[in-house]
Amino acid sequence: MALVRRSFLGVVAALALLACSREKPAPAGPAPSASAVRDGYVIGVSQCNLGEPWRVQMNADILKAALAHPELRLVFKDAQNDSLRQRAQVEELAAQQVDLLIISPKEAAPLTKPVAEVYRKGIPVIVLDRAVEGEEYSTFIGADNRRIGREAGKLAKQMLGGKGKIVELKGLMTSTPAQDRHQGFLEGLALEPGSALRIVFEADMQWLEPNARKEMESALAANRSIDLVYAHNDPGAHGAYLAAKSMNRADKIKFIGIDALAHEGVAYVRQGLLDATFQYPTGGAEAIDVALRYLKGEKPEKKITLGTRVFTKQNVAQGGEAIP
Amino acid sequence: MNAWRALLPLLAVLLLGAVFSGDGAFFAWETHRAVLREVSVMGMLACGMTVVILAGGIDLAVGSLLALGAVGFSWFVLRHGVSVWIALPAVLALGAAAGSVTGVLVARARIPAFIASLAMMVFARGLAKHWSGGQKISTYVQTPTGFQNVALPQIFEALDARVLGGQIAVVTLLFAASALVVYVILERLRLGRYVYAVGGNYEAARLAGVPVRRVLVFSYALCGLLAALAGICQAAQETQGDPETGLGYELDAIAMVVLGGTSLAGGRGRIGLTLIGALTLGYLQKVLSLNAYSTEARLMLTGAILIAAVLFQRRSAR
Repeated sequence: MALVRRSFLGVVAALALLACSREKPAPAGPAPSASAVRDGYVIGVSQCNLGEPWRVQMNADILKAALAHPELRLVFKDAQNDSLRQRAQVEELAAQQVDLLIISPKEAAPLTKPVAEVYRKGIPVIVLDRAVEGEEYSTFIGADNRRIGREAGKLAKQMLGGKGKIVELKGLMTSTPAQDRHQGFLEGLALEPGSALRIVFEADMQWLEPNARKEMESALAANRSIDLVYAHNDPGAHGAYLAAKSMNRADKIKFIGIDALAHEGVAYVRQGLLDATFQYPTGGAEAIDVALRYLKGEKPEKKITLGTRVFTKQNVAQGGEAIP
Repeated sequence: MNAWRALLPLLAVLLLGAVFSGDGAFFAWETHRAVLREVSVMGMLACGMTVVILAGGIDLAVGSLLALGAVGFSWFVLRHGVSVWIALPAVLALGAAAGSVTGVLVARARIPAFIASLAMMVFARGLAKHWSGGQKISTYVQTPTGFQNVALPQIFEALDARVLGGQIAVVTLLFAASALVVYVILERLRLGRYVYAVGGNYEAARLAGVPVRRVLVFSYALCGLLAALAGICQAAQETQGDPETGLGYELDAIAMVVLGGTSLAGGRGRIGLTLIGALTLGYLQKVLSLNAYSTEARLMLTGAILIAAVLFQRRSAR
C-alpha cells in the first residue's frame, strides 16, 4: 500500500512538473509605461506553437512592427501545439478584454467556435496563416502554398532546361502545406507524358532535416544521376545537400527549398549551399498594419493573400526578388 | 540469450533488402556505409539505454538530452568559439550530470524510473530551447550590425568526415567505441556484475552488499553522457544545434535494445545484442527508404516486423 501511495505521489509530482513546464510565460511584449497603456490599445496574440522557428519569426515580425507604434501593447500566448490549450488562451485574452486578437490557429475545427465568440463580442479578430471555418472573424492573412509550389516548379523546369531527374522531399503529407507545395510543384512542372523531365524519387521527410538526409542518401544510392532536389522546407533541402556533399555529388545537383528564414534558407543560399529558396511570409507585419486600421475604425478587406519572394545566388545580396 | 536468435531477424531484414534491392542499390557498399552512419546516433543512445534497462530501469530522457548536447556544443563552439577541449568535456559532463539527477531521483527519492526520466525529458527539452532562444544555433550569427557568416569549426567537419580511406564515418567509430566501453564495463568489471545483480533482483543485491543506489545512479549518468555524445555527433552532422532535434529518439533506442532480446524486466541481456538490434532497425528503415515506400506503409511494416521479431525471439527462448 505504501508503495502504491508512493508511486501515486510520484505521478502527481511528475504531472505537476509537466504542468509547470507548460505554463512557461510567453515571450513578453514591449514593457509599456503606465501612461502608454491608459490611452493605448492591447492586442492579444495567440500563437499555436513556438516550437517552430518560422512561428518564432512570426512573433518577432509582429513585435517588430508593433514597436514602431508606442500606443500598442502586446500580450503573447503560446499554445505549444495543443488546440485545447489555445482555445483556453483565446478565452483568457477575451476575458482580459483585449482590444484586438491576432491568432494563428493550430487547426480550424476546434478553434472556430472560440474565435467566433470573441468576434461576436465586437473584438476584431485577425487570423494568420491557418484559417478557421465559416465567416465569423475579421480578416484572414495568409500565403498561398500552392502558388509557392508552382513557382518552385517553374523555376526547376527553367533551371534544368526541361530535361533531367528530380528528387522531391516532402513535408508531412498529412498536413495541408505539404499537400499544396506538392500539388503546386507538379502544376509548375507541367509534365507531359514521355517528358525528359521526371521525378525519380519522392519521400516524406516530415519537415525534419535528419530524415531528409537519410532519404537523400537512399535517393543517391538508387539513382546514378540526380539533377535537382526540391524540398518542401529549407532544413530538408539542407539535409539533402549534406547527403550529396558527403558523397561528392553536391556540385552536380541543384537544391531548391521553401520558407527563406533569414538565418536559415536565405543564409544557405548566401553560403552557396542552396540554389534557391522561396519565402513563405509570416504576415506578422501585415497583421499589425491591418490591426491599426481596425483600431482606427476602418474596415479592411476580409482576406489578404501574401505574395512570395525568391532568393537565388544572383539576387540574394539585393534581398531577393518579389513575386507579387 | 544466444546471439543467433537476435541475428535471425537481422538476416531476415537483409534478405528482404536483397530481394527488394531498390534497383540494385542494396548491393552497393555506399548503402551499407550509410546505414552504419545512420544508426550511429541512435545506437549511442541504445548503448546507454542497455545499461539502464539491465539495471532494471528505463530512461525516456535520452532524446531530449541529445538535443541539449547538440545545443550546448553548438553554443560553446559555434556561437562563442570556445576550444573543443573545453567544450567537449563540459557538454559530456552536463549530460552525465543530467543523467545523475534522474538516477538520484530513482535511487534515493524512489520515484519510478518512468516518471523520473519523463520529468527529465520535459525539463531537458525546455532547457535546450531556453539555452538556444528557441532558434537553431548555426554558422549564421546575428550581430548588432546584421547577419554574419562564421566558418564551420573544424571539429564539426572532423566528426562528420569519413576515415580509413573514406570507408567509414567517424560517428560510426564513436558508436563502436561507445559499445566497446559499455562492453568492458558490463562484461569485464565488477561494476557490470553489480548492474546485472541490481536489475535481476534489487532486494537480493542489496542484501548481498551491492551498493545498489550508486549502481543505479551510475547507470543513468553513463546513459546521459552517451546521449550528450550522440548530441554532439548530431550537431556535427546537421552543422547546427537544433533544440527540436531527437524528438522521439528514445523510443527508437528502446526498440533497438528490445529487438536485440534484452529483457525490459532487467538483469538479462547483452550489449552485443543491442548492436544487432540497432542494425536490424537501421537496415529495416533503409530497405523501406530505398524502395521509397509511403510513410503509411513504412509505419505499418515497421510495427508489424518489430512484433514479429520479438515474438520469434520469445518463442525460441522457451
